[in-house]
Amino acid sequence: MKPPPFEYRAVRHVEEVVEHLARYGTDAKILAGGQSLIPMMKLRLIRPALLIDINPLHSLNHVRLSSGYLAVGATARVRELESADVRNCCPLVSAAAAHVGHAPIRNRGTVCGSLAHADPAAELPLVAVCLDAEFEAQGPGGRRTIAAREFFRSYFTTALAAEEVLVEVRLRMMPPEAGWAFMELSKRAGDFALAAAAVILERGSSGTIRHARLALGAIADRPIRCWDAEKALVNQEATPDVFRAAAAAATDALDPPSDVHGSGKYRRHVARVLLERALLEAWSRAR
Amino acid sequence: MTVGATKYIGRRVRRREDPRFLTGATRYVDDLELPRMLYAAFVRSIHAHAAIRGVRAERLVGQPGFVSLLTGAELADSVKAIRCDARFPGFKGTDWPALAWPRVRFVGEAIAVVAAANRYVAEDLVDLVEVDYEPLPVLVDPEEAAKPDAPPLHGGWNDNVFVDRSTSAGDVHHAFSSAEYVFEGTYVMHRHTGFPLEGRACIADYSPATRTLTVYSATQIPHLLRTGLADILSFPEQNIRVISPDVGGGFGIKAHLFPEEVALCALALRLGRPVKWVEDVREHLTSSVHARDHRHAIRIAFRRDGTILGVEARVLVDVGAYSVWPWSAALDVGQAGAMIVGPYAVTNYRVRMLGVATNKCPLGPYRGVGRPAACFTIERALDDAARALEIDPVDIRLKNYIPDDAYPYHHVNSHVYDSASLVASLRKAVAVIDYGQFRRDQERARKEGRYVGIGFAAYIEQTGHTHEFVQRGTPITFSYDSARVSLDPSGKVTVQTSLHSHGQGHETTFAQVAAERLGVPLDDVRIEFGDTRATPYGMGTFASRSAVLGGGAVWKAADIIRKALLRLAGHVMEVSPDDLDVVDGVVLVKGAPHRRVSVAQLARLAFHHTERLPQGMTAADFSTVQIYDAPPGTGAWTNSLHAAIVDIDVRTGVFKILRYVIVEDCGNMINPLVVDGQVHGGAAQGIGGALFEHLRYDELGQMLSPTLMEYLLPSAEEIPPLEVVHLTTPSPFTIGGFKGLGEGGAIAPMATLGNAVSDALAPLGIAVHTLPLTPDRLLALIEEHAQPPEERR
Repeated sequence: MKPPPFEYRAVRHVEEVVEHLARYGTDAKILAGGQSLIPMMKLRLIRPALLIDINPLHSLNHVRLSSGYLAVGATARVRELESADVRNCCPLVSAAAAHVGHAPIRNRGTVCGSLAHADPAAELPLVAVCLDAEFEAQGPGGRRTIAAREFFRSYFTTALAAEEVLVEVRLRMMPPEAGWAFMELSKRAGDFALAAAAVILERGSSGTIRHARLALGAIADRPIRCWDAEKALVNQEATPDVFRAAAAAATDALDPPSDVHGSGKYRRHVARVLLERALLEAWSRAR
Repeated sequence: MTVGATKYIGRRVRRREDPRFLTGATRYVDDLELPRMLYAAFVRSIHAHAAIRGVRAERLVGQPGFVSLLTGAELADSVKAIRCDARFPGFKGTDWPALAWPRVRFVGEAIAVVAAANRYVAEDLVDLVEVDYEPLPVLVDPEEAAKPDAPPLHGGWNDNVFVDRSTSAGDVHHAFSSAEYVFEGTYVMHRHTGFPLEGRACIADYSPATRTLTVYSATQIPHLLRTGLADILSFPEQNIRVISPDVGGGFGIKAHLFPEEVALCALALRLGRPVKWVEDVREHLTSSVHARDHRHAIRIAFRRDGTILGVEARVLVDVGAYSVWPWSAALDVGQAGAMIVGPYAVTNYRVRMLGVATNKCPLGPYRGVGRPAACFTIERALDDAARALEIDPVDIRLKNYIPDDAYPYHHVNSHVYDSASLVASLRKAVAVIDYGQFRRDQERARKEGRYVGIGFAAYIEQTGHTHEFVQRGTPITFSYDSARVSLDPSGKVTVQTSLHSHGQGHETTFAQVAAERLGVPLDDVRIEFGDTRATPYGMGTFASRSAVLGGGAVWKAADIIRKALLRLAGHVMEVSPDDLDVVDGVVLVKGAPHRRVSVAQLARLAFHHTERLPQGMTAADFSTVQIYDAPPGTGAWTNSLHAAIVDIDVRTGVFKILRYVIVEDCGNMINPLVVDGQVHGGAAQGIGGALFEHLRYDELGQMLSPTLMEYLLPSAEEIPPLEVVHLTTPSPFTIGGFKGLGEGGAIAPMATLGNAVSDALAPLGIAVHTLPLTPDRLLALIEEHAQPPEERR
C-alpha cells in the first residue's frame, strides 16, 4: 500500500492552484487533509500525476459566522465545526460533524475536502444539502457560486470543473427557534453511514409545521433533499402519524445501492426509520 | 505444588514492558534497517483458481530500482513446497509452493516476488509483471466442494476432503431412541481472522561469508520457524538464526511458516543481500491465514427435564486451499468436534468431522481454535432446546454441567479435565448480574415494547497441554517449552525462554516467577526471548501455554539456581543450606538474620574466586536450562462463563450491550492484572467477531473484504465495560497450580451475544443461527417473523 509516483507542489496563492489545475486537469488532485485522498492513492485506486498542497493557504483557514451564514474556508478542519460557537449557531452542523470519522480524522480532514470529495455516505454533504449551502469555486475565469442542489452530481462527482477549486462553503444558519435533528446508522462509531437523515422544522404560530427541510444521505449516488415530503408537511399538525407518513413517502421510491455493509433494501428501511425519528426529535426541539 | 505466602506471584505487578510499548520505543521488524537492504513486494493472484501459463517480466528490465524477480517456476527447482500432513488415516495433504506454480488456488496467493530499492518501487514493479492465467472452475461453497463429483483442487486427490473422521463413544443409538425430546439445529460461524495490529513482517539476510541465514520475523514460534525453514530450504539448521523482535500481537495468526518467509529466504540466498517485506492490510486480509468458517449440524437427545442423554454432530470446516504448517488442515475441525460437548457431562456422543478444501485463503489457528464455533453451537442449541422444553437457560445448564467435584473428569470426548468450576461460575454470574431481577425487568420492558435479552455461555478450555497433541494428529507433538536461568558475576539474573511474548506480558510474569523462587528483587531479573541463538529450543507461544509451561520451566530452573546459591552460602558461612533462606537478594540464616551474605557477593565468588567453591561445584552450576512439559500432558483446564444483556432496536436491527460479565477461573494467577488484560483483549476480539468481522468471498472466489473499509474491527467505542470476576481453582497437575488463559476471552462472546439476542427476540419467535449479528441480518429475521406464519417463505 504505497502510492505510485506523483509530483507535489505546495502553493501560496489560490491562483497557483488554478494554474496547476488548468495545466494538469483531472491528473491533478488537491491535497487538503488527505483523509480520503491518501488512502485511495495507497490502494492505487487513483493515480494523480500531481498533488497540489493547499495547506499553506492560511487565508482560507477560516470558520466565520456572519450575516446568516457559517462560512468555512478551504483549509478549515472538520474539528472546528465542533466549537462552542458553531454549536450554538448551527447545532445541526456540529452534531453531524461529530459523526465524521474519529477525532484524529476530524483534526486533519477539511470541511471543503469532504464536500469536494462528495462521498454520498458522508455527513457534511448531507448537511450542506439540508442547509442550502453555497459553494464558492475559483477557476481561471474567477469565482462563481454554486447552489447545493446543483453541486452534488453523482458518486464522487460535483459541479466543480477540472480547473476549479472549492475555496469556501457557506452554510445557511437556521432560525434559532427551529428544531433540528441529525441521525445516522453506522455499524461502528465513526464509520460512513448506512443511512443518515437531517431535518429542520419550524413551528408556526398556530402550532403547525411552518417550514420543513428533510435530507437523506447514503441512500443514493448523492445526498438528496426530500422536496415533496417537505411541501406535504407544511401547515400539517405535527403528529407521529404525519411524520411516519412523511418518512414513508420520502423513502418509498428510493433504490439505494447494496454493499457488504448492507443491502439497498436495508438502507431504504433504515432511512425511513431514521427520518421518522429525526422528524420527531426535530419537532421536540422546535420552539 | 501450591502458592503460599508470596512476594511476587499473584500480585498485580505493573507490566514492565509497557513503558517501551506505550512510548513507541519498541523495535519491530519494520524498524530494522540493515546495510544494502532490498525491499520485496509480491505479485499475487487475481484469480481464485487458474493455471499459470507464464510470468512475463520483460517490462521490469532496466526499470530504476529493479534488482530481481523470483518466480514459482524458478523456486520449484531448489525449494520444497510447504507440506503439513496430519497423522490421521486418510488425511490428504497439500503441496503449497512458496510461489505458486503451476496453479494458483486462491485470490492473493503469491506468484512471484520482486526485490527493489524500496517498497514504493517494488509495488510499482509488481504492476508491470504480467501473469498469463488460464482460469479453472472455482470452488467456494464447502458443501459443494465436498461432493464426490466436485473437481479435485489438488493433484492426486479424488475429492476435496482433507479429513473426514468420525468418533463415537457410549451408546448414541440408545440415547436417541430413549429420548423424550430430540433437538436439531444448524449453526454457522462465519470466516474471520485474528488481525494483529502489526501485520506479518520478515527480513531474510544471507551472509555468504559465514554461510549464515538470519531471519527476522514477526513470529510467535522462532524455533519452529527455524526448523521449518531448514527443512524446506534444505539448509543446515545450525546456520539459521531466527530473531523475532518486538511483535505487535499474534493471536495464532503469526504461529505459521508462511510462503512469503520461504520466498524471502530464497531471494536473500540468491542475492546475498538482506530483503525486507512488511505486509500491508490487503495482503493480511487476503493472504495470511483466515479462521473459523464452521457449519455445525447438531442433534441432542433430551429427557423432558432437560437432561442431555446424547449428542450427535456433524462439523464441517471450510479450510481453504492448503494445509498450513505446523498445524495441518485437521486442527480446527478436530478441536470443534471434541469441544462441542465441552462443559457438559455427556456420555453418549458421536461426531463426524469434515475439513474441506476450497479456493479460499487457507485456514489457521486463531485465538480459541475451533472452540468459539463449538461454544456457539452447543450454547445456542441449549438455549433453543430450553425454549422448546420451557426450561430456564440457567437451569438447563446447571442440570448438565460436569459437577465441580467430579474432577479429574474423563470426558466422552477423550479429554481428561483436571479441574474446573463450571457450576460455581454460573452461580457467580447469576448473582453478579442479579438474574431474577433481570427477568422481572425484562417482563416490564416487553410490556413497553422493548426487546432486552440475556445470554449465558460457558466454555472449558484446555491449556498448557503437551503430549495430548498426539490426539490432534499434528506432525509435531508440541510438548515442552524451556527456560535458561543464569546468574551473572554481579548477582543479577537473566532468564531466556523459548516462549515469545507479543502482548502476553512475559517480561513481567516470568520475572515474577523467577524473583519469587530465587528470592531476589524483581528488578534484578531480566527476561529475554525471541532469538534462537540466545534461547533454548522450544515450541513458542500459542495454545494458552506460556503461563503453564514457561512459568513451570522458569520455576524449575530458578529453584536449581537457588539451591546452588544456598549450597555456596552454606559452604561460605559454614552452616547447613537447610538453615538458610534467600530474601530480597540476601542469603540469611533462619532465626539469625544478622548472619547474611548477599547474592551479589556469592555470585562474585562463583565466577571470580572459584577456589572458594565447595568440592565439585563450578561456575557452570549457576546457569541451567530446564524444560517443562506439564505431566501428564493432558492440560490444565480453564473455564469461564460469559453473560451479556442486550437491548435491541427492532426497527433497525441495532443492539446495545448493556452489561457484559465474565467469570474467569484460570487457577492460580501469576499476575491478575495480566489476566484481566488477556480477558479484556480476548473478549474484545470475540465481540468483534460476533458483530463486525467478516471475510467474504463472492461466487467467483473474489475477496469482498480486502481492506479495513470492508473488514470492520471493533474499536474501543464498540466494546462495553467488561465486569471481570475471578474464581480460583488451581490445577492439581501443574507447577504453581497455574492454568493458561490467553485464548479464553475470545471463545464465548459469539455464543453469549447470540443467546442474548435470541432471548431478546424470543417474543417474535426468533433464534439466531448464523453470525455475525449485523443489523441488516437481524432486521431481516425480525421482518420475516413479523409477518403471519402463513406468509413466511
